[in-house]
Amino acid sequence: MLRVLAATKGVEGEGFNPPDAGDFNLPPFIEGNVFATKPILLAFLSALLIATFFILAARKASVVPSKLQFAGESVYTFVRNDLGRDVIGHEFMRFVPYLFTLFTFILVNNLFGIVPLIQFPTMSRISFPYVLAAFTFFVFHYVGIKRHGLISYLKGIMFIPGVPRPAYVLITPLELATYFLVRPLTLSLRLFANMFAGHLLLLVFFLGGEHLLQGVIGLKLISPFSFAIGIALTFFEFMVQCLQAYIFTLLTALYIAGALVDEH
Amino acid sequence: MSPRNDENTFWTIFGYLLSGLLIWGGIGYGLDRWLGSGFFLLGGLLLGMGSSLYLIWLRFGRN
Repeated sequence: MLRVLAATKGVEGEGFNPPDAGDFNLPPFIEGNVFATKPILLAFLSALLIATFFILAARKASVVPSKLQFAGESVYTFVRNDLGRDVIGHEFMRFVPYLFTLFTFILVNNLFGIVPLIQFPTMSRISFPYVLAAFTFFVFHYVGIKRHGLISYLKGIMFIPGVPRPAYVLITPLELATYFLVRPLTLSLRLFANMFAGHLLLLVFFLGGEHLLQGVIGLKLISPFSFAIGIALTFFEFMVQCLQAYIFTLLTALYIAGALVDEH
Repeated sequence: MSPRNDENTFWTIFGYLLSGLLIWGGIGYGLDRWLGSGFFLLGGLLLGMGSSLYLIWLRFGRN
């Protein structure tokens, strides 16, 4: 839908209108209802897809797994072992449900960016990464406060051992800012920016190719290259999308692990 | 070091550098606005850079 919309926009103008941030601003499809937008619909769709997939994969689980069960189990095992156990340590099982939900939700929503006909990464709307980062923020601080108590948790953040006393004046504000501001911000902005830029890049090459096709013969000959680069970038995007889901989950696990360690 | 730790180290360092500049640079900027002077912003940025480098050394360089 976006493609068609943007394409007509490009045709009716004088020259080529390059895609911009406005292309991410999808109006609600029910007039006046701000919740009836494509990204929100996609978020619900992703929840539905993930639930269906893993329920189907877990049903009739057998010792000799079916292909579906194998696929579901490999994703689960990957999150549990590589992101849970190896990072958090012996009490990782408590956090696996959260990490697993996070990973699959982000992954599917990112992949929507290159799924034909859908072709919009939900996470390129910044509210979604913000909310996810807020969840992680509360989880790792809650875990830390519960483990150490509020006072000694904050002390652990503010005062790293083995530093001359006056240096704390310089360092403590940085530590506080890192834990309470920079961490959630970088977490959400990294995901958002990657999805946003990736989608924009694809738009540029596909819309550009389409526009070249409407030009004179010389331009028509060039347009396949634009499409070819667009297709190559689609594969590249696939990689980025998986990687970003992985990094978000990995950093969440690392933050939880950091809040749990004893000496801090 | 596993790639996992590298990832963490990289983002932690990035975070420290960013917050150093933001916090001390911000304080300097505020002082400049308040006092109508011009050198606190520069001083704050330098101080922030220095202290975040110090903090990075404390976290990762000591052992």
